[in-house]
Amino acid sequence: MKKKISPLYWVAVLLFLVLTVGPFVWAFSISVTPEYEMFKNTMNMFPKEITWDNYLALFDSVSQQHIRLFRGLENSLKAVACTLVIGIPVAAITAYTLSRMEFKGKKIIKNAILITMVIPVFATIIPLYRMFSAMQMLNSTFWLSMVYASSFLPMSIWLMDNYFSTVPRELEEAALVDGCGRLRIFFRIILPVSYPIICASMLIMFLSAWSQFQIPLILASNIDTKPVSIVASEFMTKDTVLYGITAAAGMLIILPPAVAALVFRKLLVRGMTGGSIKG
Amino acid sequence: MGVLVFYPTIMTFSYSLKEMKLTSPEDTDFVGLSNYADVLTSDSFQYSLQNTLFLLAVVVVLTTVLGFGVALLLNVDTKISGLLMALAILPWALPPIVNGIIWRFIFHPGYGFMNKLLIGLHITDEPVMWLTDRWLLLLIVAIVVAWRSIPFCAIVCLSGLHAIPEELYEAARIDGGNRIAVFRYITAPLMMPFIGIGITSASITAINIFDEIVALAGYKDLGKNLLIESYLTTFSFLDFGRGSALTYVIMLMAAVLGIFYLKSLNREVEF
Repeated sequence: MKKKISPLYWVAVLLFLVLTVGPFVWAFSISVTPEYEMFKNTMNMFPKEITWDNYLALFDSVSQQHIRLFRGLENSLKAVACTLVIGIPVAAITAYTLSRMEFKGKKIIKNAILITMVIPVFATIIPLYRMFSAMQMLNSTFWLSMVYASSFLPMSIWLMDNYFSTVPRELEEAALVDGCGRLRIFFRIILPVSYPIICASMLIMFLSAWSQFQIPLILASNIDTKPVSIVASEFMTKDTVLYGITAAAGMLIILPPAVAALVFRKLLVRGMTGGSIKG
Repeated sequence: MGVLVFYPTIMTFSYSLKEMKLTSPEDTDFVGLSNYADVLTSDSFQYSLQNTLFLLAVVVVLTTVLGFGVALLLNVDTKISGLLMALAILPWALPPIVNGIIWRFIFHPGYGFMNKLLIGLHITDEPVMWLTDRWLLLLIVAIVVAWRSIPFCAIVCLSGLHAIPEELYEAARIDGGNRIAVFRYITAPLMMPFIGIGITSASITAINIFDEIVALAGYKDLGKNLLIESYLTTFSFLDFGRGSALTYVIMLMAAVLGIFYLKSLNREVEF
């Protein structure tokens, strides 16, 4: 039953649009404002002239900013890929085991996994730092990704576990009778029907890993491993004068997660309403 | 996971009971709770605690109220609701550090949007220094953090709104209930579990604010919360013992909220 839409709705929509899109628009406008116009004391909200210099500088393969930014992007992508490769299979298999098999201590394991969802990263970072530095594991993409994966795993496991428990058991029982092994059941029956939640988990893991700042700041701040989030913060502090470039770099950093979120928003909502959190 | 989560969590506790400064590495005596005593009585802890609590209160209120509001907005079925949904998710996908940077452009005293707006409208002649006053800075940090945590709250609330059966509303209409009564007796009580999830996840986010403060205020004393304080104690002053004790204080706060969170996640909602 459709209700009549009141003018109040449109007022709310307008307000919502201004508050949600506004900050992006403003940051974009800064990124195309010529440096000389930025500090002119004008009432103009937006620049009279548009310049793409900041973007050109970032894409100019010899500029300092280009090298730093793209190094960061590359490092971030590597860490994200590594995290997904480690995290998703482990999460899927653990969740399947927890939802289908009966064994001693299952409840304890399940609760332990849930509890780690609320342990803040900071509670583990000091010993991790000492451990990593003692064993030369600092500034390694692999170990950084291991830390990411282990901190995102509980949520993925929880999401998948919820989903698997809605898959009817009859499917598997029929296969068991036909002589299928557990592993084959998992690959042939469970995975094909649960691809939505697997994709949703991958997306959430991707977005969370892309956003990390604190963990790599402590564990991987080397030029070869530091992610783009740290590079962005350095643009802010080291190049205090170059606001335009910082804004342009910010826009480029937002692009991958924003596109992912827009394209896969249905999956994301499904994943999030599974009750997920993002730290 | 055991090695990377549980073991370090326990180790942090053991560090917190020891004298442990990287500036004097040989000296790692067991000192009992004295790190905790030092931390809890220091002025700088009190200061950061106040900041954390302020951020917590403002972020939770803003996130929950506006998140619920956005959910109501998204729940109206119109031609543009798909587009609105897409836009609503965007802030959630942003890296928090970039979120802080974007908002810094808005509150920058010189070319920031807010000052241009205020001066343009002749509300003020002098640019407002948004980020140099303690409470104003914290308020802005809270708004910025709430901005990125609203989407999650909104989507949780929206899934709650979808779950309320239409028959309940029809029954209320037949009984002559007006909008306010419907909201008061049907929507609000049935939404409580979902709002519970929103509140607790917002509070966990609020306790763990780090990136936005770094982007908006730097590692300075003015806007520091407990997490920044702990980071500075550990990695700038290299006092691992006190840093660990501070971390445990933060973790206890988060754990209390976390238990509520797990409870609200696991509660089955029945109609």
